[in-house]
Amino acid sequence: MSEQNTPTPTPGVTPTDSPKIGDDGDPILRIEGITKQFGGITALDGVDLTVDPGITGLIGPNGAGKTTLFNCLTGFHKPDDGRVHLYETDITGKEPPAIAQQGMVRTFQIPRELADMTVFENLLLAPMNQHGERLRGAWIRGDQFVEEEQVIRDRAREIAVFFEIDHLLDEPAGSLSGGQRKLLEIARALLTDPDIVLLDEPLAGVNPTLEQKILGRIEALVEDGYSFLLIEHDIDLIMDNCERVVVMHQGAVLTTGAPEAVQSDERVIEAYLGGDDV
Amino acid sequence: MAVADFIISLLTFIAIYSLFGIGLNLKFGFTGLIDFGHVAYFMIGAYVTVVLTMPAGAAGYSGIGGFALPELFGVLGPIGSLFGWLLGVLGGMIAAALVSLAVGVPTLRLREDYLAITALGIATILTTVVNDEEWLFNGPFGINTVHAPLRDVFPLSLGSFTLNMAVFGILSLAAFGLTGYWLARAFRRQGRRGKLVLGVLVPLVAVWYFVLPTLSDGMVELTRNTLWLFDPTAGPKGGMDYDRFVLLLSVAALGGGYWLVERTINSPYGRVLRAIREDEDVPRALGKETFQYKLQALMLGSALAGAAGALWAINIGFIAPDQFAATITFYAFTAVIVGGTANNKGVILGTAFFWGIRNGTRFIDVPSQYSIQLAASRLMLIGVVLILILYYRPEGLLGEQDYDIPLPSRDSSGGTDDV
Ligand SMILES: Nc1ncnc2c1ncn2[C@@H]1O[C@H](COP(=O)(O)OP(=O)(O)O)[C@@H](O)[C@H]1O
Ligand SMILES: [Mg+2]
Repeated sequence: MSEQNTPTPTPGVTPTDSPKIGDDGDPILRIEGITKQFGGITALDGVDLTVDPGITGLIGPNGAGKTTLFNCLTGFHKPDDGRVHLYETDITGKEPPAIAQQGMVRTFQIPRELADMTVFENLLLAPMNQHGERLRGAWIRGDQFVEEEQVIRDRAREIAVFFEIDHLLDEPAGSLSGGQRKLLEIARALLTDPDIVLLDEPLAGVNPTLEQKILGRIEALVEDGYSFLLIEHDIDLIMDNCERVVVMHQGAVLTTGAPEAVQSDERVIEAYLGGDDV
Repeated sequence: MAVADFIISLLTFIAIYSLFGIGLNLKFGFTGLIDFGHVAYFMIGAYVTVVLTMPAGAAGYSGIGGFALPELFGVLGPIGSLFGWLLGVLGGMIAAALVSLAVGVPTLRLREDYLAITALGIATILTTVVNDEEWLFNGPFGINTVHAPLRDVFPLSLGSFTLNMAVFGILSLAAFGLTGYWLARAFRRQGRRGKLVLGVLVPLVAVWYFVLPTLSDGMVELTRNTLWLFDPTAGPKGGMDYDRFVLLLSVAALGGGYWLVERTINSPYGRVLRAIREDEDVPRALGKETFQYKLQALMLGSALAGAAGALWAINIGFIAPDQFAATITFYAFTAVIVGGTANNKGVILGTAFFWGIRNGTRFIDVPSQYSIQLAASRLMLIGVVLILILYYRPEGLLGEQDYDIPLPSRDSSGGTDDV
């Protein structure tokens, strides 16, 4: 939760209906000089980037460092150098749970559903600061415990309906198809009531119908005030759906801008046609 | 030894080891923590409780303590003395939890297999320390002045022989009835195969428990086996002897531990534990401080092992380091896996199965020159069964249990409330 939001009594449990964007439209993320090396490989080489509210596309050929950037932003990797600010808060080097609690959550490139738990349980896990999530709350169950659990179940059902996976709630998540897993991941991330969601290739391997469905959902959520940073390596899809596009190449930001401007940028064409596989 | 006495000692064993196994199940089954050092907490619980409750300056003991808590509260009568013992058990549980905290803090942040290896090492070191440092807990000589709570209340006699027989008899029969009802219900759900198993098992047990003893030893034996809580030889008027009390105490402790773990896992808290088991990165990405959860699960599971250790001490009446070998941990893992990982009922079933084979076969009469072979074949039989189960039913006899957070019903549109 960022300071810009109206505080809710039990964050994550009570859905916020207020828009998530700061009134003045300040950037959500400020990334300065993020560097990450794996042994001899420089995966990120001083990434500078500002992410504004709304939907931002992140493209770049395979191995450009997009996933590594997500890992550095969300605390799964410690950057070797550079700083990340989420709104005004410096979140560099913090642990993933702390960053998620600050309002930034991510999905994984390969969906990570909790296979032996039901779809419903996967969703119920997500809301933050649940009373019954603490040992004391679980043992001594007051009215608050019951109330919260009911609210959470309602929200989980609501979002399952929104993503059209409500008929699967009782299925083990491991039995879902690839596309359904992607939907489940997004739905689960949203139930944490975040300010910004980092989606790592939510459209890869998804059939075109579902692709449009997911994009439609994301656009509807942007209307509600959520922001997204979305990795996709199909350049056309990004161009049609994002307000701003960031192009990464060989661990650095090549260019940023409106889709049309980026599309005609020669360096982008070069990176895609001249470089690695697309 | 009458069959009833043997059954009572076996059931006590099973209850204590089930409590131990339920602690392991919380760590391993529900949270995915592989703790190969589980027996260390059993040992710590046993030793700390014994030292806190036994009198100071006991003959043949040259270690720390004892602190005689039951004596201290004994001025308030038997209930006070029992309270003193319970405080001792609490001390044992806390000590076990604290040691597991010390093991968990450095290891739980690392990859999951580190806990397994480190824990095994630390458990071995702890046993060695208790064995070698005589000033601590008397070293290899162990402690034979274990305080047995309410020992002098037993044999418990309610007055006349007939009254004793009637009251304990009715309680015994009620226990038979409940067990029978519960078994029938459990097996009915298994369909025809369940009925077949029940149809074979019940007559076999009935013949072995009621018919054969009667044939060889007559009506006294039959009475003893039927009214098993009542021991006609306990004192002049008969009554309930201490072994039977220890059984009830162990079953009560198992019930408490079972309830606590069920309560813990059937909750949003338990959802996080299971999410950690499945893929820890997911709850972390969703803002859960998984390290805290793992630490708490480790401590709670260890505390339960500590409670089991306290019961073990009064059941055996003597503790020594060699009782807490690493194999005890692996027996518990076997029981958990056979019964069904992440299934508390399965833990009890698996433990009964394991110790039933292990100790039950002592009753098979073989010429003495074959007794070593029999001992070896017991473990072999358990090994074969384990392999068969892992092959044909890798999820164990019962498989993972269902979860439910009961809420006062409101609406159930869309999904289900059974989670
Ligand atoms: N955990 C890791 N260990 C070693 N190298 C890695 C690791 N993660 C990513 N890399 C390397 O970093 C580079 C960028 O990878 P990645 O961020 O996955 O690219 P993208 O998501 O843009 O396809 C690649 O060369 C990859 O091999
Ligand atoms: Mg990637």
